[in-house]
Amino acid sequence: MSRYIIRRLLYLIPLFLGILIIVFVATRISGDPVRLMTGLNPHITEEAKNNLIRYYGLDQPLYAQFFIYLSQLFQGNLGNSYVIRGGLEVTTLIGDYIGPTILLQASSMLFALIIAIPVGIISAKKRYSKLDVTVTTTSLLGTCIPVFYMGIIAILIFGYFLGWFPAGGLITQISETRGYFLGNQTMDILWHMTIPTAVLTFAILAPIVLLIRSSMLEVLKQDYILAARASGLSERVVIYKHALRNALIPVVTWVGIYFGGMLAGAPITETVFNWPGVGRLFVQATNRLDFPVIMGITVIITIMTLFFNLITDLTYGYIDPRISVE
Amino acid sequence: MVKKILKIEQLKTYFYTWAGIVKAVDGVSFEVNEGETLGIVGESGSGKSVTALSIIRIVPSPGKIVEGKIIYKGENLVEKKEKDLQDIRGKEIAYIFQDPATSLNPVFTIANQLVEVILRHQKISKKEALEKAIELFRLVEIPDPEIKIWNYPHQLSGGMKQRMAIARALASQPNLLLADEPTTNLDVTIQAQILKLMKNLKKKLGMSMIFITHDMGVVADIADRITVLYAGRVCETADTKTIFYNPKHPYTQALLTAVPSLILKTEKLAVIPGSIPNLIKPPTGCRFHPRCEYAQKYCAEKIPDLIEIEPGHKVACLRATELNLKSPLGGIKNK
Repeated sequence: MSRYIIRRLLYLIPLFLGILIIVFVATRISGDPVRLMTGLNPHITEEAKNNLIRYYGLDQPLYAQFFIYLSQLFQGNLGNSYVIRGGLEVTTLIGDYIGPTILLQASSMLFALIIAIPVGIISAKKRYSKLDVTVTTTSLLGTCIPVFYMGIIAILIFGYFLGWFPAGGLITQISETRGYFLGNQTMDILWHMTIPTAVLTFAILAPIVLLIRSSMLEVLKQDYILAARASGLSERVVIYKHALRNALIPVVTWVGIYFGGMLAGAPITETVFNWPGVGRLFVQATNRLDFPVIMGITVIITIMTLFFNLITDLTYGYIDPRISVE
Repeated sequence: MVKKILKIEQLKTYFYTWAGIVKAVDGVSFEVNEGETLGIVGESGSGKSVTALSIIRIVPSPGKIVEGKIIYKGENLVEKKEKDLQDIRGKEIAYIFQDPATSLNPVFTIANQLVEVILRHQKISKKEALEKAIELFRLVEIPDPEIKIWNYPHQLSGGMKQRMAIARALASQPNLLLADEPTTNLDVTIQAQILKLMKNLKKKLGMSMIFITHDMGVVADIADRITVLYAGRVCETADTKTIFYNPKHPYTQALLTAVPSLILKTEKLAVIPGSIPNLIKPPTGCRFHPRCEYAQKYCAEKIPDLIEIEPGHKVACLRATELNLKSPLGGIKNK
């Protein structure tokens, strides 16, 4: 087992390097950050511009820039932002922003699983019933409608027209006239979380319901389910022990892929809800050509994706002993 | 008078599919006496398995029992509630499936699956249940039971898996065992071992058994009486010797002719022309008439009743008495 994990980790090194090279080159050829920074300043001199270029190391050839970046990376240094708060360290920056991202994503995934698994099972058990048709139609809609569209509609209805929830952000900016919701910081965050979490939960839940339903339908046809019933086991044991364990594999795959891509998918969600997470930071960094921040988040996304892929593979072996990790 | 443990009357189990109503079992009646083995014989699609699944009421959807009585020890199982049926399944009536590779749950250890079934019907501790499971493994002659029990099904061979499935079925000493082609998916040598084991166990535990098969050789070996099914209906019921040496239904005779035999020394294997009919629109009258070499015009019009032509010998053929059929094994003395 540990040998397998070590081997898998070794395989990750070339993959990781490849991804870094592609993103590094793609960002560097996408524009000139110094021009972007100084574009609105009519009084800037050529010399000052050149100083900036030299300061950021952008005068070096591309491969030299990459090797400098790499050597810094191995020391755990992701560089400093070009623009944010006078060159804040990227590690600190990501540390500040990752909390809200994980809060939103993890709670949505948790709710989605809690709801989707029983709903999918009931839908499969009552195949073609009115309930099943309602569930599958709703799930299909949830799968088809993009999160940003659902998000905008939800904000419009519940944030704007009804005014029940704030239209965006993580927390109320307190001032003399405005305080926290119910006067409590936690309650205030929960209040802000409601729309984004609900929308994201629905978006995550929809495909899981369809997955659970179809894989349950497949499993329920198997002889071992009939055999479990023939042994006098109750319907609850047959479904939740014998069938569910077998039906979970595709769901584990999906959850693994989702968590791996959690940060990569966050930009859109977080932009719509004005959520101060890594995703929105990524969008801002891209708009300003803030290379170190873009690269830093890419590194984190890559590591997370690879890490969750490994976790997913290990989970398979746990759920289904026929899948051997060796 | 022998006591009847199971009596099935006019059982009808239909499947409500998109294409139409499949009348898989359409008026089947038979009885099982206490302590005997009843063989149910028929081609694929004759309704053998559906009949057995109906007995413990686990016919998968969209199948439904629409009519008939299943009298087990004087109680009609068709009218029982699901909760009460769960107490009967596995404890009173157990089931062994055809394919041991698919009838064991692949993701749980054998110990887990056996202990679960034992605890379902017996009020004992987990530790006692585990001891009992190992005991059962000895009963079905699995070597090294203490080690094998911690395996997953895929780590065992086909024969071992079927022994394990038998052990699970016997976990609570059932009175009636439904064995649905338990040897069909096994090698011939393993088949013989499993058959021997089942015969011994039946004697040892004093059970009654319904043994479903399409293999005339196997059924001759194990059954006391035989019921022949065709297209969801009973053709003929009699004791094993009568079925083999004095069949009265043309279908039974045809089945016997199709058995490869060293004694008969036939050059070519005989086949019954045609195939089992579509059960959404079964043939009118006698369901076998399109393939029957003795069929008359009236065979397509009148449904033959199952008539007792001599004590213990029932036949559903309009021409049963006039035909005077000969068994292909006719002149051979029985062994």
